[in-house]
Amino acid sequence: MNELMIMLFAPLLAGFIAWIIDVRGIREAIGIIGAAIPLGILIQYYSTITGSNPHVEYSLSVGGFKLLFQLNTINWYFAVIASLVGVAMAFGMASTSRNSYEWLFALMSYTGVLGVFLSGDFVGFFLFWELMTFASFMMVLRRNKHESLKYFVLSVIGAYAMLIAIGIIYAKTGALDFASIRQALYMDAMVGSMSKSLTALVFLLFITAFGVKAGAFPLHVWAPGAYSEVDQSYTTFFSGALSKAGAYGFLLLYILMGAKLYAALGTWHGHMMFSYIIAWIGAITVVVASFLAVLQEDIRKLFAYSSVGQVGYILLGLGVGTGLGITGALFHVLSHAVFKGLFWLVVAALILRTGKTEFKDFGGLAEKMPVTFAMALIAVMSLSGIPPFAGFASKWLIYEAAISAHMPLVAGAIFLGSGLAFAYVVRFLYAVWFGQRPSDLEDVKEAPLPLLIGMFILAIPNLVFGIAPGLVTKYLNKLFGQTVVGGTYYKLVTPTGTYNALLVTVLLIFGIAVAGLIYIYGAKARRIPITNTYQSGNPVTEDYNLSIRRNFYRPLAEALEFWLKYSWDRFYERLAGMFEDFADFLREGFYNGNVQSYSWYLAIILLILALWGVL
Amino acid sequence: MFDWKLALEAIGILIYATFMGFIFMGIERKAIARIQRRVGPPIYQPIIDTLKLLGKKESVSHGFIYDFGPVFALGASIVALLFIPIANFQLFSSNADLIVVAYLLEVPMLGIMLGVMSSGNPYSAVGVQRGLLTMVAMQLPYGLAIIALVQHWGTFKLSNIVALQQVHGWSITVPALFLAFIVFDIVFQAMLGLEPFDIMTAPAEISMGVMLEYGGKHAAILFTQHAVQLFAETAFFAVLFLGGASNLLVLLVKQLVVLFIAIFVASIYPRFTIDQAAKFFWKWPTILGIIAVILTMGW
Repeated sequence: MNELMIMLFAPLLAGFIAWIIDVRGIREAIGIIGAAIPLGILIQYYSTITGSNPHVEYSLSVGGFKLLFQLNTINWYFAVIASLVGVAMAFGMASTSRNSYEWLFALMSYTGVLGVFLSGDFVGFFLFWELMTFASFMMVLRRNKHESLKYFVLSVIGAYAMLIAIGIIYAKTGALDFASIRQALYMDAMVGSMSKSLTALVFLLFITAFGVKAGAFPLHVWAPGAYSEVDQSYTTFFSGALSKAGAYGFLLLYILMGAKLYAALGTWHGHMMFSYIIAWIGAITVVVASFLAVLQEDIRKLFAYSSVGQVGYILLGLGVGTGLGITGALFHVLSHAVFKGLFWLVVAALILRTGKTEFKDFGGLAEKMPVTFAMALIAVMSLSGIPPFAGFASKWLIYEAAISAHMPLVAGAIFLGSGLAFAYVVRFLYAVWFGQRPSDLEDVKEAPLPLLIGMFILAIPNLVFGIAPGLVTKYLNKLFGQTVVGGTYYKLVTPTGTYNALLVTVLLIFGIAVAGLIYIYGAKARRIPITNTYQSGNPVTEDYNLSIRRNFYRPLAEALEFWLKYSWDRFYERLAGMFEDFADFLREGFYNGNVQSYSWYLAIILLILALWGVL
Repeated sequence: MFDWKLALEAIGILIYATFMGFIFMGIERKAIARIQRRVGPPIYQPIIDTLKLLGKKESVSHGFIYDFGPVFALGASIVALLFIPIANFQLFSSNADLIVVAYLLEVPMLGIMLGVMSSGNPYSAVGVQRGLLTMVAMQLPYGLAIIALVQHWGTFKLSNIVALQQVHGWSITVPALFLAFIVFDIVFQAMLGLEPFDIMTAPAEISMGVMLEYGGKHAAILFTQHAVQLFAETAFFAVLFLGGASNLLVLLVKQLVVLFIAIFVASIYPRFTIDQAAKFFWKWPTILGIIAVILTMGW
């Protein structure tokens, strides 16, 4: 048995065993081991991947198809991110999972995601894509039927759009493995035997397929519901790794069809038309999802929209289409996986310990859960892009890429998006951690140990890749076979700019030290309770709730009133309703139980046949 | 290996910037007083204020984050300052570019808000909300102005932008960048927290908003932070649009010009409400910014 296969099926197998054994304690241990095996094997492969011939392959014959699995520079990168998040998820689930059902499907989707990343042909890709969709659907189904069906229907539309696209490509090239398709389409870019409209159709179908998984606007409507209505430890994987399958799909589109799409769709004001479309999808996703995140009243919904918005950054970076843009996007894949995974684990801890999800019920938890709060702070800093955290390094690359590729309006959208990101993380910090503590949260305890271990696993990369972003960019340079982002481990150098993360860190420590000296010089501070505060000079008692927990950003909602009237969610609901009505209409209209009308149908068919000349 | 000259320069600039920042604050108060036909305080008044605050016998605290917020804010302001090329002192500017500095200038805001929120005061919370919404609102035109500038000069490095301006003339002499300059100047008003965009502090409406709970040494740190930030932001403006400077005196003149424009605007306009500010920023400055950006693209 090849190591690739062990790696691929270890989580699935562990999930089954955990499901069958179903003894608390043992199933958790099996789950964690199963989740950790792929990470271990991938790390072992590191020397091969960074060596002179970064290629590992294994093929498997199943049902007349030859499934090809491979590990090369780009696959390894995605797979290692997924398995890192997977391990963190397993630790988190050891604390929060309620039954073995969750272990089965969580680990099944883990195998699905790894399979998507490792597949070298469309057969395996599609099979594992479906496995991943099914498993994540089952996770959501457990909690909420409506949301799970919404997710499932959209995913199925995406998957079958992909199947049609694969069919068209197979009909035109006769190949299913990526290497041959890439070559055939590359040749076809010059010959042009595949027509423009057909290429555009394939492009559209693929965008739909991958857009659904990535949560790109306007196909993002499943995300808020699906991300909220599962075990939040699983959402770590769901939003941290599973949504990256969509991003990987877009990248695959570049690898397989880049030349063909460029030849068929041409350019628009110096940008490749197809990538320009992706960039705009990304930009709109960033802005729309971030605005919606700011206005949420539920902690899970806020982070769900934030996830959608951050994946928008990845699409935007890919859409810029230059080496720098793709490097930035891939870096953001990593940093989004680690900071958003961390966020969801924090949310899992909050929900586990308090049982509440809405901002209005939280408050003042920083004192009760100090370690979790510190982790949340790291995630906040990384997400809002404070140097020197990983989130800043990747966003910085995307900024540089978008501006130097002369996509100013797209770059403007990410400026707006980063302002909005500040706004929604502060909302989270304020409502959950600070202010008065509601009396029913007095006996909240710190998060359990496995959950904290999961958080540490994700917090460390946030710091390490923030201070040494060169570790990532040097690896990504291999992808292009040339130096796209230069510099050392601590310093990024692009053709137009520089960012020295280590120096920023050192100076930040220096600055805080200087400020700290002033602080120490001043008189000693006396600690007073939070209720001893200014209330226009009036006395304050415990009975008054002084923290603003509801509709914090009301003025923004008012300023956006016009835009908030339109909702894609409602549009899809209405569309679904129309389909349902139409199905009812067909059923009642044709199967009306009237014998005479059935004989009329027969007569009409006979008439048609007679007119056709058959009879 | 250790570069003593650079370290000394950095510390020297830091002291100079803090001092001049306080003087700028004094000038602000003096100029507004003169506009209103008052005598006003002496120009060194903010230094006295800060020293008084530091000399308080007791300060109160609401917890660790409450203390850490202002300290972090001042630290971040110092970092931002050290990455801007100040006149002939390049400091660390070759190690970070425009985007990094633009981000670092916003980080102190997060530090202040972090501390403020932990006080749990409702007025402070309203201040935080208004501050963040102002930031969200101004971010789009601010971004567009920076993008126009970068597209015209073709580099993100601040020292290169200064060098290019010394060869080809100041940014504001280029028509497209003049538009960007107008946009930036409007946004600048909000960055400095002056009327009509002093929505975050709004003394008359929400009794100082974010700064409300802070007293004693915490307030002293915030004053110092404001001074450093004021110096850094005016220097940033001068570097981007007014061709930088070859020595501190020229830089000072340019900073004062920038500051006086801001003061004159601030002293005659009343405050916007937050939704008016959002609507305003997303209308005229954004349109101007888009025009500037399109002009710099050359089509």
